[in-house]
Amino acid sequence: MQIFTKIFFLFFIFSTQVFGDEASNWLKKEIDVILDAYKNTNISNEVRFLMIEDTINYNFAGAGIAKFVSGEAWSKSNKDTKKKYIKLFKRHLALNIASMMKGYSNQSYQLINAKYDSKNKVSLIDMKIFNDTGELIVTWRVKKAKDRFFVIDFLVANISLVETKRSDFNSMLKTVNNNLNKFNKLLNDKNESSYNKLVN
Amino acid sequence: MPFLKTFIITILIICFNFSLFALDSDSINTNSDDFETGNFEDEVYDPFEPINRAIFSFNNVADKVILEPVAKGYKNLPIPVQSGIGNFLSNLKMPLIIVNQLLQGQGGNAIDSTGRFLVNTTAGILGLIDVADNIGLEKKQEDFGQTLATWGVGDGFYLVLPIFGPSNVRDTAGMMLTYATDPINAYAIREDETWILPVRTATNAIDQRSKIIDEVNALRDNSLDYYAAVRSSYYQNRKAAILNIDDNSQTPLPLISIEFE
Repeated sequence: MQIFTKIFFLFFIFSTQVFGDEASNWLKKEIDVILDAYKNTNISNEVRFLMIEDTINYNFAGAGIAKFVSGEAWSKSNKDTKKKYIKLFKRHLALNIASMMKGYSNQSYQLINAKYDSKNKVSLIDMKIFNDTGELIVTWRVKKAKDRFFVIDFLVANISLVETKRSDFNSMLKTVNNNLNKFNKLLNDKNESSYNKLVN
Repeated sequence: MPFLKTFIITILIICFNFSLFALDSDSINTNSDDFETGNFEDEVYDPFEPINRAIFSFNNVADKVILEPVAKGYKNLPIPVQSGIGNFLSNLKMPLIIVNQLLQGQGGNAIDSTGRFLVNTTAGILGLIDVADNIGLEKKQEDFGQTLATWGVGDGFYLVLPIFGPSNVRDTAGMMLTYATDPINAYAIREDETWILPVRTATNAIDQRSKIIDEVNALRDNSLDYYAAVRSSYYQNRKAAILNIDDNSQTPLPLISIEFE
């Protein structure tokens, strides 16, 4: 009986390791796409952002995060408003990630410590960024679904991008009585100003 | 001896007051939605939000006009100079970190930190070089705010302090205790060299700010409500520090559905 327990334990450890490595390899490829876009000096800032936006939209669980951060406003809204909101949110997310990654583009990095949280079925991949005076750890939360991976969160110094966005959005949603339609206008304006700052 | 008596009385008063504040913050009604997860914005007790927002706006302008440009200039200093300043300031904090580790019952960490302080002060030339890190004595931060939290003192309400930025009642008291008990500050006051205090604080602020220029700009440029985003970031970071979460994997997981992708 003990031997079966040991085999099961080893199999469990092995499978979580393989799963973590698989997610890690995938993530490295996608991070490099974003960082290479920043290093490519032959393209305009607009084209660079569009390339990055495509990568982020494809790899992040944008719609799921959009729903999560909208809190109770989600359930009060109609289908068209939700669709418009998701579209705007995806651009907002891309602008957030792009401006953060821009700062890391001239630094080297290494993916370390890929772990698989079997309870929540989420891989946690630490990215060690080497800057001039030290190191910074960024953690990516990755979930496998529909035979591929999705990034569901991004943490810097224990600060979750998704939780911070939820607080940020919640505060603004309160000012419009959780009306997602009115909020979409605010989000659109913010996206335009963020876009201008990023590409100019 | 009179100092010890004052210190103990101050701690007792703070603990009592914070228990009251904590009760207040615990009684806030939160709105649940269709996601069962912790919401930082609902946990934050911010009854003085209008005043806090006004101070926050002032700090934000001060940051843009003074701190950020100075921090960017500081980033142009040679790397060994920046590292040296950062290491030196960090080493000065070690005695109080050790005290707080002991007050929190972290004997092992206190021994490591003492070793770290001795190695860096001697072999590391007064802390300019972080020799201890290379021999496995990792830097661990503890402050009076964390100690009070470990002793069960609640956050109290959220506060934005002029110049110092986001805090709460407990952490502000912790900061005051730090200033009151710091041996370097005590030495400077005793020797009538009070200029050391603001210079040390300012240099520390510049050094810390220089390390997060891109992150702060990304947050500022992309937040719909920068105040709420900073408040949330502050609470997430402090919560992790109090629980001694060294590892990002232990931070609460938002329940993200992938059904629509």
